[in-house]
Amino acid sequence: MRGLRRPSRGPWTRALAAAGLVGVLLGTAACGGGDGDGNGGAAPGAQSDGGEAGDPVDGGSITVGLEAETNSWLPGEGTFNQPGLNVAYAIYDPLMQRAEDGEVRPYLAESLESNEDLTEWTLTLRPDVQFHDGTPLNAQALKTVFDTYLKAPTSRVAATLSEVNSLDVVDDLTVVYKLAETNAAFPDILTGASGWPFSPDAAAAAGPDAGANPVGTGPFVFESWQRDSRLVLKKNADYWQPGLPHLDELVFRPIPDEDTRLASLQSGDIDVMQSLRQGTILRARELDGVSNYEWLGSNSGGTTVNTSRAPFDDVRVRQALAHALDQEALIEVLGGAGVTPPSTQFFSEDSPYYSEKVAEAYPEYDLAKAQELYNDYIDDPDRSDGLPVGTPLSFTFQCPPDPSLNELSQIIQAFWSALGAQVELEQTEQAAWIQQMLSRDYETGCTRVGGDNDPYILLSQAFQEGPLNMTAFQSPEIDEQLDILKATADLDERKKAIEAIGLVLNENVPNTFAGGTLTVMAARDAVKNMDGWVFPDDIQGNGAANASAMWGHVWVTD
Amino acid sequence: MYVLRRLPSLIATLLAVSILTFLMTSLLPGDPALQILGAENATPEAIAAVRSELSLDDPLPVRYLHWIGDALTGDFGRSYRTNEPVSQAIIERLPVTAEIGLLAIVIALAIAIPVGMLSAYRAGTRTDKVISSTSFGLLAVPNFMVAILLILVFAVWLGVLPATGWVNFTDNPVQNLRSALLPALSLAIAEMAVYTRLLRTDMIATLQQDFVTMARVKGVSNRRILFRHALRPSSFSLLTVAGVQVGAIIGGSVVIETLFAVPGVGRLLLEAVLVRDLLMVQGVALVIAVSYVVVNFTVDILYSYLDPRISHGRSSARV
Repeated sequence: MRGLRRPSRGPWTRALAAAGLVGVLLGTAACGGGDGDGNGGAAPGAQSDGGEAGDPVDGGSITVGLEAETNSWLPGEGTFNQPGLNVAYAIYDPLMQRAEDGEVRPYLAESLESNEDLTEWTLTLRPDVQFHDGTPLNAQALKTVFDTYLKAPTSRVAATLSEVNSLDVVDDLTVVYKLAETNAAFPDILTGASGWPFSPDAAAAAGPDAGANPVGTGPFVFESWQRDSRLVLKKNADYWQPGLPHLDELVFRPIPDEDTRLASLQSGDIDVMQSLRQGTILRARELDGVSNYEWLGSNSGGTTVNTSRAPFDDVRVRQALAHALDQEALIEVLGGAGVTPPSTQFFSEDSPYYSEKVAEAYPEYDLAKAQELYNDYIDDPDRSDGLPVGTPLSFTFQCPPDPSLNELSQIIQAFWSALGAQVELEQTEQAAWIQQMLSRDYETGCTRVGGDNDPYILLSQAFQEGPLNMTAFQSPEIDEQLDILKATADLDERKKAIEAIGLVLNENVPNTFAGGTLTVMAARDAVKNMDGWVFPDDIQGNGAANASAMWGHVWVTD
Repeated sequence: MYVLRRLPSLIATLLAVSILTFLMTSLLPGDPALQILGAENATPEAIAAVRSELSLDDPLPVRYLHWIGDALTGDFGRSYRTNEPVSQAIIERLPVTAEIGLLAIVIALAIAIPVGMLSAYRAGTRTDKVISSTSFGLLAVPNFMVAILLILVFAVWLGVLPATGWVNFTDNPVQNLRSALLPALSLAIAEMAVYTRLLRTDMIATLQQDFVTMARVKGVSNRRILFRHALRPSSFSLLTVAGVQVGAIIGGSVVIETLFAVPGVGRLLLEAVLVRDLLMVQGVALVIAVSYVVVNFTVDILYSYLDPRISHGRSSARV
């Protein structure tokens, strides 16, 4: 596909894409896309060049350019994507956080223990921790937050917490989360918005404006917020972790356009910028005086087919479509050539759940095989769509209106048309497309596959009964493995179960993959320790994962 | 008198705008409840809860009457997405867009008037041709291109102006002007070209009129003829178009505010549309429509100042 001409893309359309694609959903359902010009040369994958951080320096102020604004800072009300996570980790502390080895460990919590059958989780808080307004962080505060905000019917974490029946106070510093069913993945839930305690007193006092006046326990105290312009945070002088934070002031600025965000870093308007776009990452690598903290997540662009509709209920059709796609070409139109490796499963090569066996089972690009499967279906007198033998497949491929996604659609159309199928392209605006996928009112289209939640949460949402099962694909074998995943915290057992699921998926291909999504935090060299954060007991954290940092641990040397 | 006569049609226009915005936003595919909850949480029960909380299941006319009734008392409701009062969001952002738009018009006029006059005065000469082709060239460049170029030159290379961002006037007037300059310039470039072309055409016509020849015969200086005698009668089209172009500036602000990361009304509207924040879209669209109508209404009134012969009140009375 080298000969394909790729028209240059305007920054305005990128702005739209950034604002639209990122703002709407947490990864899993949003559609994938990257842009920019891929160049060969470097090996695909994350490259970080932050180097040694040296000794911490206290004081100073830095400004961080984020790719989008967040609607509200109140857990339960806010949609926290990558930009929002950065702010959340400055104002709040997560009860649990992910370590370098992928294990979820206590951060603000002192400990989290489960009973034998993983249905009751006892969380102990650290003594003498206060919210920024002086309210003590205790069991009652957690319970009020849980009952009043997190479990409210319109809460954005209500579904996440649907299997948590109650949070009961044991003593001043101890609570028990009571689950409806066994769930080994429960600690993962507390790394997200459900696990960021905020002052119930302050939230009650602010009423409907609580989302604009966040009060947490985190390293920085909220000072002011002008939406779509800047959020200013000041050092929390009474922070519970001695010696932290290092910075006196931290400013976040949402700059939706990729080009102007990069220009702002170059001109010194901002000290750090975030990007999830492959083209920007390549350009940031070339800047002098800038350190890049890259991370390859498990989110991949790809296609989805609605297996509840003929002809996609037939595995031959799905396999034919998968074998007909050249992943390298798809990655190239997404701007990821030389940056992102092809994906073959829900987890990237950097994930502990990645499996070589699953990678080998992914349908490779093989037109002859694709054609054979395709012909086999259309010449089958009992074909599932009931059409006469020999009638070519005719269906629609939907994608949101974004320049790189348009190109992706066109190239997919070309590949599938080569089999003899009649593929009609349809642009569907993001909000409408997600709704169509959720209600399974579509044939095929582009989507994002994978994610960095706990595998049980991710895979059960994607392949069991529920709104997020957009492919409508289910299998008893997957259910069986999910039961294992749900019931055990043992890493080896879980890996085995995930591998088994991956093999079923690559055999049945309800989704195909393009390339993974690389993310970057690009910082002036003077900004240090962007990825060196540690737990209170000095265990190494998972770095600048997902283009977000633990800001309490960052310092600046000038 | 004139104002009173125009009032009913003004109100009808605004009413039509409000109904159209309401219908268009309500009929867009994409459920606001789904946007509020996020796909992960979109269980049928949760969606039903949100829809009933926002009264989304009421019939459209009922919803419209509810909304317009509240809007007339200044209550535009609270944003589905951010939970902030819509009126407050607009009040906070309108000055930003207004400042950039006004600055753009001032810059455009300040350059277009002398250049357009020069072009007309030297019509047909090399100067005129250079000005004309430059104007056409500038007209052809989209504003986002201009914006990126300006950022590259003034922020990245020269380092004299900020690339992105906004400082409120009340916080620091000097920084405020610095942050408004590049966005305003990006919007001004195309306007400038339009204004120059218009003024040139009208001015050439004016300069051929008898009173100008008369002034020349009397020995009035060229400068005086141009500025004192010819400019005013030549500015009709300019003024009309400047009024109409307010729409272009508001449209352009959606792009420019996103590029420069400025918290204006354009960016507010864009994000509200993308996530189906219906109340916010309706509120912003209504306010934009009102300002557009008011500006053009003001332009109408200014005509009578430019040319007393077409004073609206009297002309109709005499017919």
